[in-house]
Amino acid sequence: MSAAAQSADLDEQLQSLLDRCAAADASALERLYELASPFLFACLTRILRRRALAEEALQDVFVSIWQRAGQFHSSRGRPMAWMMSIARYRAIDLLRHERSAPVLVPDLPERAESADDSKDDAAPWMPAGGLLERCLALLTDHQRNCLELAFVGGNSHEDISRLTGNPLGTVKSWIRRGLQSLRQCLES
Amino acid sequence: MAPQDPYLIDSLAAEYVLGTLRGPARRRFEKWRSTTPLVQERCRFWEENLMQLAKGVRPIRPPPRVWQGIRARLNLAGAEPRRRPARALAIAASVLLVAGLSALLYWRSLGPGKLVEVATVATPTGSQLWKVDVYSGRLIVHAGQLPAHRTDRDYELWALPAGGKPVSLGVLPTTGTAQRSLTAVQQQALANAAQVAVTVEPLGGSPTGQPTSTPIFVAPLRASS
Repeated sequence: MSAAAQSADLDEQLQSLLDRCAAADASALERLYELASPFLFACLTRILRRRALAEEALQDVFVSIWQRAGQFHSSRGRPMAWMMSIARYRAIDLLRHERSAPVLVPDLPERAESADDSKDDAAPWMPAGGLLERCLALLTDHQRNCLELAFVGGNSHEDISRLTGNPLGTVKSWIRRGLQSLRQCLES
Repeated sequence: MAPQDPYLIDSLAAEYVLGTLRGPARRRFEKWRSTTPLVQERCRFWEENLMQLAKGVRPIRPPPRVWQGIRARLNLAGAEPRRRPARALAIAASVLLVAGLSALLYWRSLGPGKLVEVATVATPTGSQLWKVDVYSGRLIVHAGQLPAHRTDRDYELWALPAGGKPVSLGVLPTTGTAQRSLTAVQQQALANAAQVAVTVEPLGGSPTGQPTSTPIFVAPLRASS
């Protein structure tokens, strides 16, 4: 099965589970948790760094998914993107009070490796290849690095400035231009 | 006053999703998003697309207490947690099926916190796939250089105790190192095992607690000096 077909299959499965959650089927939430929690937990752990806090956040996320499942429809996007957003926004909320030090993203694959191996290593809900990957490839290393530090590590502009040793204005500019470049590429 | 310029709206949505919109500006944006379909649409656009940045994030299986906590908070009955491996990292067998396995296990003197056995899983050409270190009460698995593999299955490691059913030792990682505590049942099974096995299972490991497929690798346990 192609990566795209796998990804579509999984989307369909997740959508069906969310529909059942909306109908208060607890076994669907359990299955959804089995499928999605390892990836969401990894994302939370990256941002929050403290395992206990990430566990608490993961509980919040699945309580929220259960309560809001009826609001999600596939016409509004991919189920995993929706769940991941709930998780990331919860983590960023918790950061307001919980974190004082910036976070490195030490174990992301190196650029050179990802060119060869990324399709095999990607989570099944990550569409392999296609427009998005080509658009990301157009970014400069600085731009992409800043976007990863922000999105995956939950770092603020100030954190990234400290982490990379670049002036705050430069970091903001790299991020702004990186996002502009992605937008132009994705919508062209 | 909320911005009207579509370009500005999109830029704010992008930085909100990225997580760099912080503080009062983030909270104002959230209120605005909750009432404005255009803002919601732009957030979804970025949520879908920026997700690709997390492609390198390796899944981590949360401990069972998290699911128990969710059930308690939602007053859910009947959704019993299954025994799961400590960590799920998705791999599959398409290429490795053709690779052979050699495994060496070295028994060492038992003691609290001491290394009690080591298994090296390698291809016939000598490429190490996994190194499994069993301590008293703890298992540490180091992934080696794995060939290309599918992402919709996991490899699961099993102890094969003499005269008993296989006992899961958890899902094998594809990169880096995975650690987990060994239960009394797992320790007992390892102590009585003459062999270990590797099977291909659904993501997260066998849902039944027993192998759902024929082992692709079976390796003897050998005592060492």
